[in-house]
Amino acid sequence: MGKRYAMVIDLRKCVGCHACTVACKSENNVPLGVNRSWVEELETGRFPNVSRHRLPRLCNHCENPSCLNVCPVKATYQLEDGTVLVDYDRCIGCGYCIAACPYDARFINPERKTAEKCTYCHERVAVGLLPACVNTCIGGARFFGDLNDPNSEVSKLLATEAVTVSKPETNNRPQTYYIGADEKALRPNLLKIVGGEK
Amino acid sequence: MMTTVHFFDSPHEIYWGLLIAVYFYYTGMSAGSFILTSLGTVFGIEKYKKVSKVGVIMAIVLLLFAPLHLLLDLAQPGRALNLFTHVHLTSAMSWGVYLLILYPLCLMFYAWYLFRQDLVNGLNKGGFKASLYSFLLFGKKDMSETAKAHDKKQAKFFGTIGVPLALAVHGYTGFILGNVQARAIWHTPLMPIIFLMSAMVSGTGLFIIVLMLVEKFKFGRLNDDIKSLIADIANLMKWFIVVDGALMITYFIVLWNSTEAGYAAGYYLLHGEGWSFLGLENGLGMLVPLLILLSKKARQSLPAVVTASILTIIGVLAMRINLVIGGQKLPLTGSKIIEYVASGRDIGIVLGIAVVAAVVLSFLYAVLPMNRPGAQEMKSIPTTKGVAQ
Ligand code: SF4
Ligand code: SF4
Repeated sequence: MGKRYAMVIDLRKCVGCHACTVACKSENNVPLGVNRSWVEELETGRFPNVSRHRLPRLCNHCENPSCLNVCPVKATYQLEDGTVLVDYDRCIGCGYCIAACPYDARFINPERKTAEKCTYCHERVAVGLLPACVNTCIGGARFFGDLNDPNSEVSKLLATEAVTVSKPETNNRPQTYYIGADEKALRPNLLKIVGGEK
Repeated sequence: MMTTVHFFDSPHEIYWGLLIAVYFYYTGMSAGSFILTSLGTVFGIEKYKKVSKVGVIMAIVLLLFAPLHLLLDLAQPGRALNLFTHVHLTSAMSWGVYLLILYPLCLMFYAWYLFRQDLVNGLNKGGFKASLYSFLLFGKKDMSETAKAHDKKQAKFFGTIGVPLALAVHGYTGFILGNVQARAIWHTPLMPIIFLMSAMVSGTGLFIIVLMLVEKFKFGRLNDDIKSLIADIANLMKWFIVVDGALMITYFIVLWNSTEAGYAAGYYLLHGEGWSFLGLENGLGMLVPLLILLSKKARQSLPAVVTASILTIIGVLAMRINLVIGGQKLPLTGSKIIEYVASGRDIGIVLGIAVVAAVVLSFLYAVLPMNRPGAQEMKSIPTTKGVAQ
């Protein structure tokens, strides 16, 4: 069986230092104002009963990626190992993939003028290195590996820990698995955002 | 109640803005006006034959200018040809490219057969028009009865293909949004149908105004014949509004009762976008014209019909903007509404294209023979060339 890459993020170990955000930016030369990988931080509850949550976000390299399905020129494609990539020479910059991704994972690179997102640091992985965010995470919260290899860290974690994904209802089958995520952090509280929450 | 406060978020932007909304708007009005005016040629309703020529020219021009908005919205407009060289059947946008070619082509053939005999008759006018007509005829000057019958048959043939193409060219834009399951506000099977119905409304609205202008400038006045036809079209428009309104209400009720994201979207339409959604789109743009057109007397009064038409044109534009842009204001991650302000460039493009399209449309109406059953064009001042020896 071929490889199937995935990421597991253990939120119990994440301290919210944003080192992954910075590492990604410098590894991939991501311009200011846009991010391939970022950490959402939120606080829930009312004093004195409060808690803080962090949620690192990145492209989920979905099993059924809506970004890929809507691309009119097949500039977005998926490798055998599950990695979803953009062909920067073919992309016309129509923005359909950005509108269709349920996870806000994409943007138009203001310099290259094409769609862009996390590539799982494809070039690094190809030579046996870890993605920059995983490599740099100070709490050791991020794990990357092959789900088809039963001995990989990610396979073991998925087998032994309770995991969730963001918006499982989408039929995208996202491949970023969170350990210890709070449901409130996994999706925006839309009702509150539109002012409908009392 | 638990409160959640985000204090770190990645900024996100709205990429589909004014240009996309206006693109949907143009294709809609093209499809709407074509379907309306095909009632004569294709469906055999005699009185509409008078206006098929006005309608088809308007449909062609709108459709030729519509994709310019799309092109200028691309981050890489120079690569637009990739759309033809890489087909992707799961992408509604990929289907659209072919429809955007086939539909105007079909309409041009249709128009050619509609106009051919008048072009031949106009050859003796001399001057620029005659050279233009002779060019447009491509040598096909046969005026025998068989040739005339052939024109009629071909016009009907291309018109008949044109109707499903018109439905598709606008319906597909509904699929572009409807297929996006990430956004509750778009993700409904009603979307293509809502788009089509509102296109019938705005297409009819714009057509009425264009028809009045053409009649006025080409024939000097609106005769009773045309006035009664306009009243008929206004009556049709009333029904289009009724169906469109019913669809909007259906859409909204189901949205309100769907998932949390759907309910929040509905709530946002009512509150966040209230003035534009309730006020402009559905109040001023739908309810008021409907109330006007309910009265038979109003349908026979030109000022009332013009008012209703203008209101529907504005209302449907608001609807396109509310749906396309409003749909992206609701965030998919994070905690804030994503704000959108149209850039000066986009506004400039929209206005620029509108002006050029209006000029091209006027030019075509001015030079093409718009004779129709029951009316001849006003005699223009004869040029020396045109005077018989
Ligand atoms: S997260 Fe978004 S961009 Fe990444 S594969 Fe899934 S749909 Fe595509
Ligand atoms: S922006 Fe590029 S990658 Fe995204 S859908 Fe358009 S062509 Fe495809």
